[in-house]
Amino acid sequence: MTPAPSSSSAPPQKLMRLALGGAVFLTILSGGLFYAATVQYGAQPTADVVKVEVGDKTCNPNHLSVPAGRQTFEIFNASSRPIEWEILQGVMVVEERENIAPGFRQTLTATLAPGEYRMTCGLLSNPPGNMVVTPTAASDASGDAVPSLKAFIAPLSEYKVYVTLQASAFERKAAALAEAVASGDLNKARDAYQATRLPYKQIEAIGGRFADLQSRLDVAALYLEKHEQDPAFTGFHRIEYGLYEQNSLDGLQDVARHLSEDAAALKQRLREAKLSPDYLASSASLLARRIADGRVDTGEDLYAHSDLVDFAANLVGMQKMAALLAPAMTGDALPAAQQLQARIEALSALLDSFKTGDAYPDYTSIKADERAKIKSAFNDLANAFEAAGDALGRVAA
Amino acid sequence: MTRHTLFAAASFLLMAGSSLAAPSTVLDLVEPIADYKIYVSEKLDKLVEDTEAFTAAVKAGDVEKAKSLFAPTRLSYEAIEPIAELFSDLDASIDSRADDYEKQEQDPAFPGFHRIEYGLWEKGSTKDLDPVADQLLADVKALRERITDLALPPEKVVGGAAVLMEEVAATKISGEEDRYSHTDLWDFKGNFDGADKIFQLVRPLVEKQDPAFVQKVAGNFATIETTLAKYKEGDGYKSYDKLTDDDRNVLSAAVNTLAEDLSTLRGKLGLD
Repeated sequence: MTPAPSSSSAPPQKLMRLALGGAVFLTILSGGLFYAATVQYGAQPTADVVKVEVGDKTCNPNHLSVPAGRQTFEIFNASSRPIEWEILQGVMVVEERENIAPGFRQTLTATLAPGEYRMTCGLLSNPPGNMVVTPTAASDASGDAVPSLKAFIAPLSEYKVYVTLQASAFERKAAALAEAVASGDLNKARDAYQATRLPYKQIEAIGGRFADLQSRLDVAALYLEKHEQDPAFTGFHRIEYGLYEQNSLDGLQDVARHLSEDAAALKQRLREAKLSPDYLASSASLLARRIADGRVDTGEDLYAHSDLVDFAANLVGMQKMAALLAPAMTGDALPAAQQLQARIEALSALLDSFKTGDAYPDYTSIKADERAKIKSAFNDLANAFEAAGDALGRVAA
Repeated sequence: MTRHTLFAAASFLLMAGSSLAAPSTVLDLVEPIADYKIYVSEKLDKLVEDTEAFTAAVKAGDVEKAKSLFAPTRLSYEAIEPIAELFSDLDASIDSRADDYEKQEQDPAFPGFHRIEYGLWEKGSTKDLDPVADQLLADVKALRERITDLALPPEKVVGGAAVLMEEVAATKISGEEDRYSHTDLWDFKGNFDGADKIFQLVRPLVEKQDPAFVQKVAGNFATIETTLAKYKEGDGYKSYDKLTDDDRNVLSAAVNTLAEDLSTLRGKLGLD
């Protein structure tokens, strides 16, 4: 492995915002969890119970200031109707108690990160109260903390859902491709081929790590002794060779059927795969490096010349990974998350610059100097994922 | 493949092997949470589909058809309520009660399912319900969109099992929620299914450390299922007022015990 690059300069403010922007939503939700993980080793939770009385028109007090961390609230319903009491951040419910009957008290315990919140006060038309959660020594200290493994449950689950859905799409499209090939319609088969490749490329970082399947699904003729004539030449590129080089469906039926079977097998493997944050990052790093070291120069889609479409799909999958990991990459891991976001944006902008409308050009039209830029952008991305993987490898258990 | 790529592939696998052995059981929650997200997504698809049919019946002025679709449509919503109600604006817009508004049923701001329920059952009419129906459909679609983009917070998912049982205890055992249609047993079933799903997903993780707990919870779920089954009618459930006092007590006891027991799940799974 090459050493992780050190980020020589702090990314500009705008990038920092972007790095976190898409993930704010997540952060809001995982905030409670994250703080549960980070403040525990700090100050003792506040023992004082914060009392709130909800009247017919307003909360009393209607402005609260509480320290960050675990906090218990006692809500007294002084109004004449059953109420629910909620702590809101934006439109998101952080914690709530439902159906507090008139004259009754209920307690609620919430773990709150510093920031501004609102509380509902009875009728939905009543103005909400304000709550300011102030930083504490513990919450400040958490800024330098190693992120907690717990904070990665949500992003990893979400990535697993993404991979599962893409793998299902791959399985479905591969079955449709096999049908199109069997039907003898060359144009239909070409469309089906491109549609099948997309979900596979989006999850290639993880899916491509099963070496046995990968060597059947996506092997390049270049690596086989007899090239296109080698009996081991199968999978995507064998089909591509028939569809775009030979302009024929001859001999493709079995290949397409096997591709479809391997797609189903891949889905099953991915279902069973245990994911960890550093595994994701290192997988993406390996893929980006493989692209930079080989595919950009030689091209991978030697007959359809649709390499840019592949690159873009690869990037979409890695972008998804980075966007999910970023909010949990706090403390020491923050610079790596920001760097990663910057590299993704750079590569995304570069690939976009080749587009005409929604379409990418034939890869043969991409000149050596342009390929050098793509190569360098993928290399940067590989480095950024590697640094992220190193940071994530230090995540506390 | 060249020797070089074979070597690379082999080293990928080795690395994969070491990373795949997660260092802590905390990450064992990844699979159940992912499975739960897929469950929620399927329920949301069903909710949107059913709400389309339900609101179409309302807008067509077909009171009887709308009434027959009200409870089945709500089933999917009630099953995923711990997640659905994370968005306070949509929760209010879709599922708030007349009590949340100053003029109760007469308040023009009273929206959503229960506003339509009130019209269909109390007024026997779809008068003035067109905009309410349009808004409801737009809201459930917005809900699906927001949840699709949301990485589910594990503590909300695991805690959701208890939340659903508390919801049953607070609003279904009393018949508070569907006060005009008395279709509370349908909602009860939705809440029950949602809680059971969460429990089943994390069950293997808890079973090792506390088999007695798992057995007790499973027993109470079974009691509820058996009791509710007595009230099945066609594809759904009888009116809430057919529930006998004895059965209400049986359900109430099981639900309250479950709510209490399930509230310890978060702690057992290291999420508190």
